[in-house]
Amino acid sequence: MPQDSAISAQPRTLPSSIGAIRAIFGSGAVIAAILYLVMFVLYLALLPGARSYSHFQDQLANSLPLALAAVGGTFVVLTRGFDLSVAGVVSLANVLVATYSMKGTTGILLAALMVCAVGLVVGAVNGILIAYLRLQPIACTLATMIITSGIALLIMDAPGGNVPSAIGNLLFERFGPLSMPMITVGVVILLWAVIRRTDWGVGLYAVGADETASRLAGIATASVKVRAYCVAGMFYGLAGLALSSITVSGDPTAGNSFLLQVFAAIAIGGTSFAGGRGGVVGTILGALVLMLVQKLLFSLGVSSFYTGIGQGVLMIAAVLVGAFSAHIAKSNNT
Amino acid sequence: MQGEPADLVRDESAPAELLLRVQSLRKSYGPTVALEDVSFDIAPGEIHALLGENGAGKSTIVKLLNGIVQPDQGTMHLGEAPYHPHSISVARQHGVSTAFQELSLLPNLTVSSNLMLPHAKKGRFGMISERQNLEAAEALLTEFGVTDVDPRSLVANLPLASRQRIEIVRALAQRPRLLVLDEPTAALAEPEWLFGLLERVTARRTAVIYISHRLSEVRRLCSRGTVLRNGCSIGTVPLRDVADSKIFEMMVGLSQRNTARSTVAAKQAKPSLQLQNVSGRNVRDVSLTVHDGEILGVAALEGQGQRELFRILAGLEKLEDGQVTTSGTPAKLANPKEALRAGIGFLPEERKTEGIFAGLRTASNISIAIAGKISKLGFIGTQSERRAVADIAAQLDLPVRFQNRAIEALSGGNQQKALLARVMVSGARHLVLYDPTRGVDVGTKQTIYANIRRFVENGGCALVYSTELAELVQLCDRCVVLYGGRVAAVYDGHEIQEERLVAAVTGHGEH
Repeated sequence: MPQDSAISAQPRTLPSSIGAIRAIFGSGAVIAAILYLVMFVLYLALLPGARSYSHFQDQLANSLPLALAAVGGTFVVLTRGFDLSVAGVVSLANVLVATYSMKGTTGILLAALMVCAVGLVVGAVNGILIAYLRLQPIACTLATMIITSGIALLIMDAPGGNVPSAIGNLLFERFGPLSMPMITVGVVILLWAVIRRTDWGVGLYAVGADETASRLAGIATASVKVRAYCVAGMFYGLAGLALSSITVSGDPTAGNSFLLQVFAAIAIGGTSFAGGRGGVVGTILGALVLMLVQKLLFSLGVSSFYTGIGQGVLMIAAVLVGAFSAHIAKSNNT
Repeated sequence: MQGEPADLVRDESAPAELLLRVQSLRKSYGPTVALEDVSFDIAPGEIHALLGENGAGKSTIVKLLNGIVQPDQGTMHLGEAPYHPHSISVARQHGVSTAFQELSLLPNLTVSSNLMLPHAKKGRFGMISERQNLEAAEALLTEFGVTDVDPRSLVANLPLASRQRIEIVRALAQRPRLLVLDEPTAALAEPEWLFGLLERVTARRTAVIYISHRLSEVRRLCSRGTVLRNGCSIGTVPLRDVADSKIFEMMVGLSQRNTARSTVAAKQAKPSLQLQNVSGRNVRDVSLTVHDGEILGVAALEGQGQRELFRILAGLEKLEDGQVTTSGTPAKLANPKEALRAGIGFLPEERKTEGIFAGLRTASNISIAIAGKISKLGFIGTQSERRAVADIAAQLDLPVRFQNRAIEALSGGNQQKALLARVMVSGARHLVLYDPTRGVDVGTKQTIYANIRRFVENGGCALVYSTELAELVQLCDRCVVLYGGRVAAVYDGHEIQEERLVAAVTGHGEH
């Protein structure tokens, strides 16, 4: 607190070990991890049938589309932005994959390139409108969501199409004990570790915390934001590809259910919508928690009408715990 | 320096070699003219003061020098070459760096990350190397004599004084040709640290623009100073040969210092707003009394508890201990509604975020305080609103044509008048005004002073905090000085003099 300082004598800086502990508990990833473990134990306890490694792999595969989309959203939310275009981009990527994909490994690569390109274009449009023309993120990305959903309907006006088997098998490939989703998550986390150690990675947090101060500190704030929306768009596209691998068909409204779940995953993962706090690892855990709850309730025979209630309650709990631990991390440090 | 005490209005003895030459700069934001005509120059190795009241244009000059905004007219030269930065990074490339008044540190990053912004040290594969950044930060902190700050700590965990030092170190780390310091000592406990550094950098022929409201500091450091008033540079003077009063005169203008003080003998009047042993966050045991018909000033440097004290009175901050009495009855101040009921009218610090309702018409912004009184069956007619607002708006020189405009389209001064009008029509008897003339022009200031005076003469009272000591000297019947959250001094009538206040706010007052 700035006001405290002028009054109290200058306190020495905290020993860094205490700072590190506070940093850990202040970051939402830990809360999401604990939540995931608790849910996972509960899941295994209640569902004996789920106690197999392959079941775990399937669950991971089913969570991957949401996880990828939410990872993309995290970049935007860290800069204190908001991105609704995820719903449209996921749908668009899904119908594109179900309409234009080729067979074999080349087909997979081309499909991945295609969805990334589409996401990149949408993200660039979002980013430029928001960062340079200063449109409000919600209004702007709502518009691009509507546009991309519309294009998805133009390409495919009803669910259908089909996805080449190479893509259909993609998420269920095994490499010894590892599966494709595990490798994907590993690569994403590695990528995130690298990004955090770039000027752009630092810039994401800086811009999210205080855009004016960031500009005064010499950060090219607009470019940081544009890149965040671009990377987000590419992740949405990849999420659409992953979804196609699971559903093996196209659906022009496939992305709609992602819209709110993405933000739920981000919130559970401890990324603050006020910007500048959180990260991708928490978001991935958040997505896993959400899908686990959904599966658990479904397996217990609870009507799907209750799934939303369960997920919502969980989200409030996670955000509460997150706010509480952030408060603890902040207090007592004058 | 080579200052001959010749002509005060334009210093003819300008140094032979110049680092920065600023000529006839003009900058306006929509209808608000921030700078009208500013010219000055600086020699290498010189510490040059920019002097002026709030709103005189100092911060706009800082923005122009840093490329944050571009001038409408006028030229700048750095060395021999024209200097037209269009962004802060271009300014840095030209060797201009700034320690900003509002501090440009990111609270969620460590000290070392902040010092390295925007480009951190890279290790293998072009990735940021934490270790190299720490070493570089450590080296900078040692070089510039900041030994008690761990570069690994988050800026959010540092006290304001340390943050201010980090901000200055970061500006120095650019090895600038021109260093701009905007109120660098506002939060510093030991300004000697800065003075030592300045000696070192000026020895390397770095020029420094020094902006401070502490005239004693300015006199000690600067050889010349440029006085600004209302967006115009009034003149550059060699500071050694000019009396304080002359500088103030240039800053304020001759005609401005004659608002009559209250003739009411305050001692005989009834206490109107009374604080007894009030404590809260950053506020320690404050007792003071404002009488009917009296304007009581509060003088303090940044962060001495004045903000919290005013917010306690407005019901926005917790009153932890003590008693507040309004018109003889104890007041409960748990929330703003109760403060209103106790007759306290609060003018907040942040006009934009805490004051105006952007999007509403000016008239509605004023009448909202009495919406309950002028509404019929829950609806407010345009006519009744206009009638309710007309008188107070006329008193405050707020033209009728402005009343139907959205308030954010008005200049800062007119917005402030509208907010003051809102407080005054609300029926409050005790005005609690936090920096009521912040960022408004001189003419508007006079209107605001006159209206506060008229308000108290009609039986109210006013507690006024101002960042400008000269303003308190002019306006107040009595003045208390806060230091470290406590009342450090009280001055009465003609005892209120700027020199005394300056000493007292910095903790050197006679107690």
